[in-house]
Amino acid sequence: MDWDIVWESVPLIWKGAGATVTMFAWALVIGTVGAFALSLMRLSAAKPLQWFAIGFGWLFRGIPLLILLFFAFFALPELGILLSPFLAAVLGFSLWTAAYQAEVIRSGIISVPPGQAEAAEALGMTRAHYMRRIVIPQGVRIMMPPYTGNAITLLKQTSLATLVTVPEMALLTQRIFSNNFQFIEPIFVLGVIYLGMTTVLLIISAGVEHAFRLKV
Amino acid sequence: MELDWGVVVRAFDLLLKGTWLTLILFFFSMLLGSVLGLILALMRMSRYRVARWLSLGYIWLFRGIPVLVILFFAFFVVGRELGLTPVQSGILGLGFSAAAYIAEIIRAGIISVDPGQFEASESLGMTKRHYMRKIIIPQSIRVIIPTYMSNSILVLKVTSVAVAIGIVELTGITRQLSNSTTRPIELFTAAAGIYVILTTVIIVAQEVLERRFALKT
Repeated sequence: MDWDIVWESVPLIWKGAGATVTMFAWALVIGTVGAFALSLMRLSAAKPLQWFAIGFGWLFRGIPLLILLFFAFFALPELGILLSPFLAAVLGFSLWTAAYQAEVIRSGIISVPPGQAEAAEALGMTRAHYMRRIVIPQGVRIMMPPYTGNAITLLKQTSLATLVTVPEMALLTQRIFSNNFQFIEPIFVLGVIYLGMTTVLLIISAGVEHAFRLKV
Repeated sequence: MELDWGVVVRAFDLLLKGTWLTLILFFFSMLLGSVLGLILALMRMSRYRVARWLSLGYIWLFRGIPVLVILFFAFFVVGRELGLTPVQSGILGLGFSAAAYIAEIIRAGIISVDPGQFEASESLGMTKRHYMRKIIIPQSIRVIIPTYMSNSILVLKVTSVAVAIGIVELTGITRQLSNSTTRPIELFTAAAGIYVILTTVIIVAQEVLERRFALKT
């Protein structure tokens, strides 16, 4: 491995970090809001809402993320929906995140024993009040580890956006392959950057879990 | 916009060929990943610190880097060095990636067995090999099956990333067909349908295995 090429590759690849992080942030925010809505639908009394949430999870967890991205990129224009590569990627990542995080949020909510709902009702709490003060503080503790696990997976998967031509880090790495016929050095740089990012997320998630731990 | 599902029928042979390659990638990367994962899990629980560190480092590295990057390395660096075909490189990359996750699954299964059982086996004079085979593994397999199987669904879906190193598996052939026929909606829907069928087969296999290894009470 030639260290000069390594140092030359760093700024070329780092230029894509903005796109990587922006896609990650948008998809995490949109996907989490969607996931919260889906998990409430799943737990609602209305059958059509339940079915919709179950169908959504089955579909978007059953097919590869890459197929979702290709569908958004190649097929939606045929339906008259023209998205930029960036938006097509964010759409695919958001749907993926919503489907996976919905399961996490639902399992967090149902982990709270039903006796607490009865107790809250007996105390005259409204449902919204009960969700906010009783369920969410307890559920968050259960949700945190799988939620951050999915978030880390999402960050790594933003690399697939290279296949729908988003100029993020993996695409800029491939550009070095074809321009300079150098492989090991840019791959090394790309791997180190991702490893750094996922390790930072791991540290943050450990911090959040620590903040939400039971104080006894 | 008029949909023409006939394109799926006409392209069916090619889609099946792609599916076959997807299954080959899936099968061999699971095989490689499981063998390597078992070794890593045992190293992680070894009494030798170096073995534990090596295993921990491997898992941190391969879970911290996107599969795409691992495939780039397997194809452009290892594959070129050793003269591997793209499919061989793909299996190598996917298998080494899967191993990191499978190692954690196997370890979780083994440590789920009550530590008292290790002590009891030892006090009965059983060798480690004997009690692992007769006491620990039969119990941990029950814990391992559900997570192992849902992980294998992820591996099946992740084989689609092999398109990035030029392997024309199901996703790759669908992309090619969609470009040449300009029928992306029909073709990607068909591919999605095939993936859903394959993952459903894995879910059914999981049910069967769980029943087979269930506690007989």
